[in-house]
Amino acid sequence: MTWADRGRGVLTPLTAVAAAILALNLLSFAFGQSPWSTLAAAAAGSWGTPYGVGQVLFKATPLLLAGIAVDVALRAGMFNIGVEGQLAVGSLAGALTALLMPAWLPAPIAVALVLASSAAAGGGWAAIAGAMRVRFGAHEVISTIMLNRIADALLAVLMTAFFALPGSVRTADIPSNTRIPRLQSLGLAFNGSAASLAFPLAVLVLAAVGFWLRKTRSGREVVWIGINEHACAAEGIPVGSRRMLAMTLSGAIAGLAAAGTVLGYKGYYEMGLGAGAGFGGIAVAFLGRGNPVGLLLAALLFGTLAQAGLAINAQVPKEAMGILEAVVIIAAALAGRAATSPQAPRRTAQTDGGKP
Amino acid sequence: MSAAVQHPALTIDHVTRRFGAVHAVHDASARFLPGTIHAVIGENGAGKSTLLGLVGGVSAPDEGTVLIHGRPLHPATPAEATRRGVGFVHQHFMLVEAFSALENIMLGNEHLRPFGRLDFVKARTAAHDAMRELDVELNLDAPVSSLSLGERQSLELLRVLARGATTILLDEPTAVLTPSQSTHLFASVRRLADRGACVVVVTHRLAEVVAHCDEVTVMRRGSVVMHSSIAQTTLHELTHAIMGAEPPPPLERPAAPSDAADALTLDGITIGTSPQGRASVESVTLHVPAGKIIGIAGVEGNGQTELVLAIAGLRKIDRGLLRLGEHDVTHDSAAKRRHAGLAVVHADRQRDGLLLDASVFDNLVLGDAGSKDEVSLVQRRIAKFGIVPADDSLPSRALSGGNQQKIVTARALDRELRAVVMAQPTRGVDLGAARAIHAAICDAAKAGAGVLIVSADLAELRAICHEVVVMHQGRIVARLPPETSEDTFGQAMLGAGAEGAP
Repeated sequence: MTWADRGRGVLTPLTAVAAAILALNLLSFAFGQSPWSTLAAAAAGSWGTPYGVGQVLFKATPLLLAGIAVDVALRAGMFNIGVEGQLAVGSLAGALTALLMPAWLPAPIAVALVLASSAAAGGGWAAIAGAMRVRFGAHEVISTIMLNRIADALLAVLMTAFFALPGSVRTADIPSNTRIPRLQSLGLAFNGSAASLAFPLAVLVLAAVGFWLRKTRSGREVVWIGINEHACAAEGIPVGSRRMLAMTLSGAIAGLAAAGTVLGYKGYYEMGLGAGAGFGGIAVAFLGRGNPVGLLLAALLFGTLAQAGLAINAQVPKEAMGILEAVVIIAAALAGRAATSPQAPRRTAQTDGGKP
Repeated sequence: MSAAVQHPALTIDHVTRRFGAVHAVHDASARFLPGTIHAVIGENGAGKSTLLGLVGGVSAPDEGTVLIHGRPLHPATPAEATRRGVGFVHQHFMLVEAFSALENIMLGNEHLRPFGRLDFVKARTAAHDAMRELDVELNLDAPVSSLSLGERQSLELLRVLARGATTILLDEPTAVLTPSQSTHLFASVRRLADRGACVVVVTHRLAEVVAHCDEVTVMRRGSVVMHSSIAQTTLHELTHAIMGAEPPPPLERPAAPSDAADALTLDGITIGTSPQGRASVESVTLHVPAGKIIGIAGVEGNGQTELVLAIAGLRKIDRGLLRLGEHDVTHDSAAKRRHAGLAVVHADRQRDGLLLDASVFDNLVLGDAGSKDEVSLVQRRIAKFGIVPADDSLPSRALSGGNQQKIVTARALDRELRAVVMAQPTRGVDLGAARAIHAAICDAAKAGAGVLIVSADLAELRAICHEVVVMHQGRIVARLPPETSEDTFGQAMLGAGAEGAP
């Protein structure tokens, strides 16, 4: 990797941050506020206090997992738009499993079982789209979008018919042995923030996926299929089953995305919980560009924006943060384009024209 | 051809073109006269295509000037080049298959009647004039998809003539043509030159240069290293200039084993139907004995691609049997066949062979991932096949065509093998790399593998094969010893004269 490549690597996130600051300034102007005071309030409300930091981590957790999920599918050459639905299915499955857990079960085992059920449900939901792609060639973008809508409707029906407490859209409280401990209960001073052990667990998932994609046979083959499936098929790599594996794994990670919210914060599932994180994950994966550190930083950036939005609510409407997030994504897209299309063509000069 | 003082139609004056740090063309100067056919030759990556692109306005020189009839080409765009009478026939057909020949000629150069209606009458007249000039006969209303490769190449020429081109650039125009189609093409080109056009031909085929061209410019590593009229040079001198060294002695093909068992057997194989409703491969029976090299010749698009895909296990065999040694593998997966000792190199190495955006390391272990010692496996393959640069962390995209082909070849041949199938093993590969690949193929045969080679390059097949079969319209129409004359091969490639049109 040359210094020029490195330069382009940091260009995208830097542009995104610069765009966010610029947009925030413009918005402050529009609402008659001093840009500097808005910026200061945003910084103080997010990274300025232990509570703020904890909230950033809390908000970054689902975004990070959703980002990993999108990234895994992307590596195999598939676009998983269905994280939103997989997340919802996984969250409900987790909450229902948690409600079934007997009180005598030790907490680590109970939590592990609940997480496994979330992953299984999310993975199973994604596997439907994976199978349709591998078996019938149905494009996963279409099928995952449709599966999102089905999940949405299905969950609404199931909740109202069976699982919601009367007169509400939430399940009963889950038993205490299935709850993920808050970070502050472990002696970390996050002053009442909702950050839980789910964040370090998400980072662990990130590391594990990074290892899988780089160091194991199946993971490397998944990456190769994403680069050129024809060459892989020609060398006897089972393209279909590797794709299936990647899509299922993507869904499983998506299914875990809101576990931190259900098990670590709310203590129950309610309709609409985690909504939007799936699409946020697409932005995270896009900004992170297949790099584990990039994914983590991107998730923290969007987590920061979300938290800062609440902090400056008094000065600028919090909807402004929605605008800001969109600006960041667009800026990242533009910077990404600029980085990958330098003056010289991608084909190097050493090959003599376009031999097939 | 006149030796009198003439103003060059095209002058390249100390031109340099860089891609990143690489000098694709370095300080090159040359003059191209009207009325001549001027060949530009050199190994792959020597800068020929880049040079042609500079003349055609595809890219602008970093230093130096391109002059057309004495005036610099500025701005350096294809549109400006076209306006100045430069016609560029690209290496790959730039035709819209669903359009008719006439529509393709008009595309981008439409004569209009009031209210923007297309003037087909005027276009047709112009096309007929151009056809007379070239002495070719084309059905202007036929869709391009129904035209032969030779006809398509003529159509490309008609297109640039219809735009009034007087300087005509041809990038490897005969790569996909049979010998007789090539001769016919050059006859057309000669007529253009006789009327004063300046024709620049980039080609790999030295025989064509000597037979049909007037002038020759040799490039090596981006520089012009030789310039001569054809009359004053020899094939040997040209080869020497291209390689920058003495050409290697001709390859000795391994002695054919007398009574070896079949390594690969194709028994009455029929595959699929083409859009025209006939099978793309029909009842092909072929025995490839262990230690022998069998070639398949034929004009491209006569079922070779489908046959290779089917042998590899990537396409269904509809009828017939495929045996690897004793074993029937007709219904086995690609992975199973590979495991049983079959190696296949496909014609389109960038699509079916390489991960262009992955490292050379990953490309060399593709299919063998997870084996115990990948590092030494990769190092052995790089050393054995002379892959340069020997840096396995580079993306394979950064390597030359020849070295990309060496990667694919190394992966196929550096294994325990029963049978090898290679399609276009040296297409677009320079002489040095081609020689190394041929040697590796011979080694594989010596080691006891049955080898099947599909190639559009007849000279290659005649040099290394023990027997050559010819495919035409999905069938094997001839089985010939390699010593057979090129004419006989050419006849067979056109279906033994059954379909005469070149």
